[in-house]
Amino acid sequence: MSRSLSMEAADRRFGWLMSAPGLALLLAVVLFPVFWALFTSVHEFTLIAPNFDTFTGVDNYVTAISDPAFRHSLWLTAFFVFAVVLIEFAIGFLVALMLNSVERFKPIYYGILLCPLLMNPVIVGLIWRMFLHPSLGIVNYLLTVIGFEPVNWLGSTKIAIWTIIMVDIWHQVSFMIVLLLAGLSALPREPYEAARVDGASVFQSFFYITLPLMMPVIIVTLLIRMIFAVKTYDLIYIMTRGGPGVATDLVSYAIYRTAFVSLNIGEASAMSAILLAFILLLTGYLYRYMRTLT
Amino acid sequence: MNRLAKKIVPHVILAIFSLVILMPLIWILRVSLTDKLTAYKIPPEIGTLGLMNYIGIFEQYPFVSWFTNSFIVATASTMIALPLATAMAYAFARLNTGGALLRLGVLASQMLPPIILVLPLFGVFLLVGLTQSRIALIVAHLTISLPFLSWMLVSFFEGDMARLEEAARVDGATRWQAFFYVAVPVAAPGILAAGLLGFILSWNEFLFVLVLSGPGTQTLPVGLASLETHAGVEIAPLAAATVVSLLPVFALLPFLRKHLIKGLSLGALK
Repeated sequence: MSRSLSMEAADRRFGWLMSAPGLALLLAVVLFPVFWALFTSVHEFTLIAPNFDTFTGVDNYVTAISDPAFRHSLWLTAFFVFAVVLIEFAIGFLVALMLNSVERFKPIYYGILLCPLLMNPVIVGLIWRMFLHPSLGIVNYLLTVIGFEPVNWLGSTKIAIWTIIMVDIWHQVSFMIVLLLAGLSALPREPYEAARVDGASVFQSFFYITLPLMMPVIIVTLLIRMIFAVKTYDLIYIMTRGGPGVATDLVSYAIYRTAFVSLNIGEASAMSAILLAFILLLTGYLYRYMRTLT
Repeated sequence: MNRLAKKIVPHVILAIFSLVILMPLIWILRVSLTDKLTAYKIPPEIGTLGLMNYIGIFEQYPFVSWFTNSFIVATASTMIALPLATAMAYAFARLNTGGALLRLGVLASQMLPPIILVLPLFGVFLLVGLTQSRIALIVAHLTISLPFLSWMLVSFFEGDMARLEEAARVDGATRWQAFFYVAVPVAAPGILAAGLLGFILSWNEFLFVLVLSGPGTQTLPVGLASLETHAGVEIAPLAAATVVSLLPVFALLPFLRKHLIKGLSLGALK
């Protein structure tokens, strides 16, 4: 008894010993910056006089929240995240179901859809800017060929956010497909055979078998994609810099602007802390659902 | 009729979808092979095709330097993170070190938006005089690769492997020996694939490099982004640069295809 207890203690010690170097580095490069940001958010901190002499309490938070531009960026981000996640899910699930039902050409389709997934958002942004150029872009040329008016894709305050959403869908929809397909191909066969014997239609077996069985995979996939969509930065920097005006000013870009263009470090840190709270909330949900999956 | 439709409809949908994904990529390839003037022609002309843009980007822009910096930063941060993450993941998987709280912490670090970290890192590097250095970039990329790898590798140490190790322990191996000579070799293919994914994450990272790099330390994504402002919108060289920067990632694809789903789903799916 005492021997197995000492074994357990030795196991525990070994576990901490193994994780110590990694944990130390993680604390230094992730946790320390997070605390720095939180600390900065309650002080008056400027790049000219980088010190923590003046404690300001919630002032930076009040400034951030009462700033209409920041509130706008939060709402815009929420809208953007819901739009891309929902549309990517709808297209992604359809394509995943189709891929799951075919045998022939499947590796070709799969290989093609992997391409955008490995591309860097900077490159995606650059090539789509090229295609969507109002007068020199191929997209507007093709539109005029089939008899439509050319569209000012990135220059119009009404259209720009939808352009960003479309480009993001082109880039990221494969993420949904790959994960949903992995979930679909792991489903058991028996319920479908039983349903067919009972004369269920394709739609019935989708709504009563596929959907309920896929729920955990769907939730995890949507949550991961949501968190990554909240972080969207590169595409905005490359395609619009938040413009025209503030039409595409997603929260990551708004923080960047506040910190590195307006040089308002305190307010940017408060904005970061608010964003951090949202991300942690989503991560908490993700962690819970991931445990149900494995 | 109904059965035929059932066979054809999926292929129609998949073919349309594949075309939407593929057309922009083919177009980029075409633009990269045309001369600068033809690239702008609307309606498009095929013109003469050649490799002049591929040669041009190496002559006109510090492309080699971007490429080298990307390679150094991605390799160094992955090489530092991989052994540490392997040991940590092993402890999480097998010895449940730190329990649920620590695992949640690692997942949360991975989910942090870079914009939250970049400001403090910039402040710290400014204080110690390391802004614009490669070291700053490597440290910044550790904030991405270390949590990603630690989280991902946990699942590689779970499951049947425990029995092999127990056998080794019965034969008198120490805990360290069981880890180093049994667990690591068995998990090696997964560890390697995870390392490659970590490399790609760093290779594609933009924001940290944008803020923390200097004239000599820019990586490919930041270099490419500056290309556009450099010379107006020179789409032909830009297309060539795009193609070249995609090559390493696509070259790695066959090696990690088996583990791609695990990587994308953060270990939740196989």
